[in-house]
Amino acid sequence: MSDSDQQGSERVDVDPQQEHGPTDRQLTDDQRKAGRSAGIAFAVTIVCGVGLFVVYFSGGQNQLEGILFAVALGGLGVGVGIWANRLLDAREVVEERHELTSGPAGRQAFGDALSAEVGPVLGRRSMLVKLLAGAGGALGLALLLPVLSLGPAPGNTLKVTPWARGKRVVDEEGELVTLDSVPEDGFLTVFPEGSEGAADAQALLIHVRPGSLKLPADRLAAVPEGTHVAYSKICTHAGCPVGLYRAENQSLLCPCHQSQFDVADGAKPFFGPAARPLPQLPLGVGEDGVLVAQGDFYDPVGPAFWDMNRGKR
Amino acid sequence: MMVMERSLKYLDERLGTASLARKTLRKVFPDHWSFLLGEIALFCLVVLVFTGTFLTFFYNPSVKEVIYDGPYDPLRGATVSAAFDSVLRLSFEVRAGLLMRQTHHWAALVFVAAIVIHLCRVFFTGAFRRPRELNWLVGILLLFLALGEGFTGYSLPDDLLSGIGLRIFYSVTLAIPVIGTWATYLLFGGEFPAGDIISRLFVFHVMLLPALLLGLVGAHMAILVLQKHTQFVGPGRTERNVVGKRLWPEQTFKSVSLLLFTTAVLALLGGIAQINPIWQYGPFEPFNVTSPAQPDWYIGFLDGALRLGPPWDLNLFGFTISEVFWPAVLFPGIAFGILTLWPWIERRFSKDQAEHHLLDRPRDAPVRTGIGAAGLTVFFIMFMEGGNDIFGVLLNISVETITQILQWGLLVAPLLTFLVTYWMCKSLGRTRLRPAQINAGVRLSRNTSGGYEVASLEPASEELEPSSK
Amino acid sequence: MRRTAILLAGIAVLALLLTPATGTATSRGAGVAAQQQPSDSPALHARGLQLYQNACASCHGPNPNGPSYYPRVPALKDTGGAAAVDWALRTGRMPWKDNKGPAIERGEPRFNEEDIRALVVYIGTAVGDAQLPQVDPAQGDLQRGRDLYGQACAACHGMNGAGAALGGENIAVSLQNVEPQDVAEAIKIGPGQMPVGGGLTDYEFGTASSTEEVNDIARYVESLRTDPYNKGGAPIGGKGPVPEGFVAWVIGLGVLVLAARWIAGRG
Repeated sequence: MSDSDQQGSERVDVDPQQEHGPTDRQLTDDQRKAGRSAGIAFAVTIVCGVGLFVVYFSGGQNQLEGILFAVALGGLGVGVGIWANRLLDAREVVEERHELTSGPAGRQAFGDALSAEVGPVLGRRSMLVKLLAGAGGALGLALLLPVLSLGPAPGNTLKVTPWARGKRVVDEEGELVTLDSVPEDGFLTVFPEGSEGAADAQALLIHVRPGSLKLPADRLAAVPEGTHVAYSKICTHAGCPVGLYRAENQSLLCPCHQSQFDVADGAKPFFGPAARPLPQLPLGVGEDGVLVAQGDFYDPVGPAFWDMNRGKR
Repeated sequence: MMVMERSLKYLDERLGTASLARKTLRKVFPDHWSFLLGEIALFCLVVLVFTGTFLTFFYNPSVKEVIYDGPYDPLRGATVSAAFDSVLRLSFEVRAGLLMRQTHHWAALVFVAAIVIHLCRVFFTGAFRRPRELNWLVGILLLFLALGEGFTGYSLPDDLLSGIGLRIFYSVTLAIPVIGTWATYLLFGGEFPAGDIISRLFVFHVMLLPALLLGLVGAHMAILVLQKHTQFVGPGRTERNVVGKRLWPEQTFKSVSLLLFTTAVLALLGGIAQINPIWQYGPFEPFNVTSPAQPDWYIGFLDGALRLGPPWDLNLFGFTISEVFWPAVLFPGIAFGILTLWPWIERRFSKDQAEHHLLDRPRDAPVRTGIGAAGLTVFFIMFMEGGNDIFGVLLNISVETITQILQWGLLVAPLLTFLVTYWMCKSLGRTRLRPAQINAGVRLSRNTSGGYEVASLEPASEELEPSSK
Repeated sequence: MRRTAILLAGIAVLALLLTPATGTATSRGAGVAAQQQPSDSPALHARGLQLYQNACASCHGPNPNGPSYYPRVPALKDTGGAAAVDWALRTGRMPWKDNKGPAIERGEPRFNEEDIRALVVYIGTAVGDAQLPQVDPAQGDLQRGRDLYGQACAACHGMNGAGAALGGENIAVSLQNVEPQDVAEAIKIGPGQMPVGGGLTDYEFGTASSTEEVNDIARYVESLRTDPYNKGGAPIGGKGPVPEGFVAWVIGLGVLVLAARWIAGRG
């Protein structure tokens, strides 16, 4: 042991009372009581632990497992907590804080260590360093390229849906929807034939009361009988399915953020955070009263995005 | 005993562990219940890692369609995704699986709650001041990672409720100006609902985010040990010392006890309180919806912000800024930006460059406390709005009324909260509710002649500190 | 000691709050007497007329087939016939408890079964729609019922039937404690804001396929309260993440903070 005095004292500053005291001394009454309590707590844990075995091997039961596990852990926690607060020879101790900084000299020394032996070529302005930085940059950018493989280019996919002129209207099981499919004051979720369940194509077909629609003439012409109107089911706010139809008010409510749309008035929002009406789907009547789309929705469906009003659909 | 001594000798001779370990065991941590709040979060994380690992053995991150044929009658024969199927299987067919899953979910909720309340403790006591700004940053990052973990985990079962949440998240990323569409397609793998998203969320949830989270937790605690813990003002406590109990045995016993309590409470909740019953919600279908539709509580403020948001979309030179942008992109950006940079913002105004190891009481910094209370008010109002349909039914008030009240509340309440809090801090600061803290470091003692004399506490602490004579 | 007491009290409250509420899942007697077709016995008719004049005529007008006295009170000929009368009386929504608020709330039925039948027969005959829907959940297909429920009903009533706010004073009621007959009648008449047909494709009262679909849905709705697989513990109201969040904060974190205070001792 060739430690200097300083190091030695740091390493072996044994406080005899602290290291050996508690075991030698008599327990106080309080400690005896605390020991009993902790012992009971540990016993509870043992019982619950055995209980867990029984429950698990007899098929398991969520509530019993949870309660037994909790009581077992809680018992242990209480026991250890009592031990910590009443059985340990706990004492307040003061520890000095050390200086966090290494000081100017220390920083200087670090700087020296960093630049020593690197050689004179690598001054900050040297050509070599600039080229190295360039190489790192170019390689770094090239390595970022695979990120682009994570998804397709958006193109105009957000602006079009599978609806098109001549597509017949079906429900989500693929059954053709006719003028009679929806009773007055009723509604139905519909899709274009062949795209049942397509997220961006979902539309609500609503049979409103006669004469209640307040649409411009060209839009009204795309409403069979003046009563079977269809709107996109995707909320223009944050994209939830606007599935709550309030027949008495003839209005739609989005359950996510409570945007409300007036079905009679072109599904314009009249309350809540949505800013744009639900796009209307132009409909006509084909053979045997089957409803047929006259084209895609009048506007892009769903929530707004940066270039939704740019370019061709 | 022999075995322990021998292995200790073995390790010490190779790694020099004995003196290092001894030094660590003797580290002093101050005692205060509020210093244990961060530990609650840490122990929730421990529970999350263990229960999460168990769940990973059964979870299948695939949207491949399968026919459910398990014991849950209403869904038998239904076409569901393999992910949904595997979560049902681990809930109903794996023994103790439901307990693990529910405990995991409860642990996630309590984890973020504990982080938030720990953050409040650090904020309101000024524990983020120099030299602890970096650990504040690490802590904020941990909060973000916890939110990310929570949201990705919430979405993994591929059930109807979480699918709606994912749809809203998609719409929010779509609302980012300029890059929104591209960023969304890269993140989701295409137009919603692109098939890759579940497997991507899984990679985030069980690999990327946990790796970062655990690494940063390590850094958070390493910095804490390096800088030593802050302490409240009290007898004998100064800027140059730490007064408290040693890591071994007192603090270790206490922490173990708290770990056990945390696990117990989470297991109890997991056992007797149903959470996220996905079998009721059913598998995700993009055209179905269920009411009420809410995210877990820690995303609730964002859902509430979306409900409160004004219906203002903007057309600029043919480009569109969505109404979703203001509440769901701009607001959290600003709010979390302020939160992240708070130590530097505060310093800019207080001009306080000094090191602080003694904590403020909230009343000691009325402006900070006022701003913090106002910020909490904002988030609380948003959270309440996020559940407006639930409270509406409960209180028999229409959702429209609640929304309008809270919209006004959002404009008025934070300012009022600030003023009231500021005034309360000021008037509390004038009272001497804790005289001990005013005469910190000085004590009167009876002398032999029966009089009193001022006795500094320094000698007393010397007596406690093992000397290095 | 005081802290221990607080802790114990907290745990007791927690236990009370979260004890699995299996006791509430008892199944009630299925169906009600009004399921039979209202027979046209003259005595019943006379009783119905008498009850109508005492309890209904003051708002709905002296003749069930005529206009009502108040603009806000619907004329009975427009409400859905016998099914609407049966539904409103059996669920205690009528007669109206008070005249505040447009929403008619569920309550205890004010008439006994015999009197309800008399009113159903009388009004149903008077408005020319005396048919009550036939529903038998036992004949329904649970899986198909879940499917149809998800497409048609869940948007408002929630997949677990907990109900939801619909804006204004409108509420989609909880379906966790309703009778199959209520389901069938509500789908037929579309009470309040509910759409007629409830969102089912090709719904037409009385057709074989619609009756079958209604049976399926009734079977699923019935399963919401008898479902033996509704595991996991107390449902905390079945309202999803908001109450779950409150439990996490108040009970989860609350108990842990108390524990931390106990553990930290007098720090």
